[in-house]
Amino acid sequence: MQTKYKVASLLSIALSVISFHALAEQDFLDWLFTFERQKNFKPVTNKQYQEECGACHFAYQPGLLPAKSWEALLNAKALRKHFGVNAELDDDTLKVIREYAVENAADKSWHKRSRKIAVATEEGPTPLRITELRYISRKHHDIPEKMIKGNKGVKSLSFCDKCHTQAELGVYDADTVNIPNYPNWND
Amino acid sequence: MGLKISVASVAAGIFIAASTGTACADDDNAKNLDFPSAANIYTQDHRYLESGIFKPPAFLLAANEGDATKQQVDVIPAAEFRPPLISGSKVHQYLGLSTVALAGLTMLAAPENECEQSCTSQSEPRQTSGTTHTRLARATAAMAVATVVTGLIYHWDDFHLEDGFADPDNQHVMLAGAGTLLMLYAVNKSAHSSVPTSHAGIAELGAVTMLFAIKLTW
Repeated sequence: MQTKYKVASLLSIALSVISFHALAEQDFLDWLFTFERQKNFKPVTNKQYQEECGACHFAYQPGLLPAKSWEALLNAKALRKHFGVNAELDDDTLKVIREYAVENAADKSWHKRSRKIAVATEEGPTPLRITELRYISRKHHDIPEKMIKGNKGVKSLSFCDKCHTQAELGVYDADTVNIPNYPNWND
Repeated sequence: MGLKISVASVAAGIFIAASTGTACADDDNAKNLDFPSAANIYTQDHRYLESGIFKPPAFLLAANEGDATKQQVDVIPAAEFRPPLISGSKVHQYLGLSTVALAGLTMLAAPENECEQSCTSQSEPRQTSGTTHTRLARATAAMAVATVVTGLIYHWDDFHLEDGFADPDNQHVMLAGAGTLLMLYAVNKSAHSSVPTSHAGIAELGAVTMLFAIKLTW
């Protein structure tokens, strides 16, 4: 095939992709034809979710857990004993937060890290803690305990935003990690 | 010749930029470094000792260490942290993108009269080196190998067999590896053939495979 035909074919494909993207409704096509980076987690976009969850702890991106986990965590009964604390919400607020979390859960997301979590949690028991996910624990296993539990600036793996400086944006790349009191530590 | 100089200059430019970036990153760390607070306290104590009003307690060292521990908290606040300009994973990323870009340039620089299907021997000997196309092809193959090597080094803990074939990182590794092998095969096949040989399809399939591998973890 001559080069000019190849170039013409590639341009046609590029144009088709761009125009098709405008019409695309399915998630997979959206993912396939977007140039936006989707390596990490989709950041929290729901104001109510951000305010209610963020009032007590870091507002974890829904893509950190599969939908079955959010369903188990975000119901009236479970919130009465939310990891040892009463975190009850009124019905309307709970409905909004629950729907948002389930709709953006790991198994509904095309963001890479969410897909990894979704694949890993497809079978087996429903995970209730992000820190217990195989992917998360594996990514942190080589960090000495003194840098987390023994570190006044961190205290627990649950406080993602203490070390992941762009956690609120859903970015958890190793390049953005800065462990308080251990600025020169490298994975 | 013009293109050769250009490619060499660009490569040199990237190398210098990378080196400078690393140096800059180190400078930032150096600027953020502060003397250990224990040392500051010692200096102050030293002046205090010289003033003559000091009564040395037995717990001086322990007290200093205690203060130092308190002052060490949040030496560099997270808000002031700036990610490094150059890191291993960024190098891997840029190498992967450059490989695909070079593959595209190689395709554009392909000779017009090269046969792809019913290849028969021609009167003129076939050039297997020295042309823009062959140089770009070799550079693409080399960059693909460098991409795979840097990926293995800097993302070794990202792929695990136990996660299965559906895991995006595992898919990335398999597709990028396959794409690299296809491109290497195409270059090797063409370089060792004295007659025109069909290799473009294999090389293009390799480039597309690598592009899809990048997309999976983009």
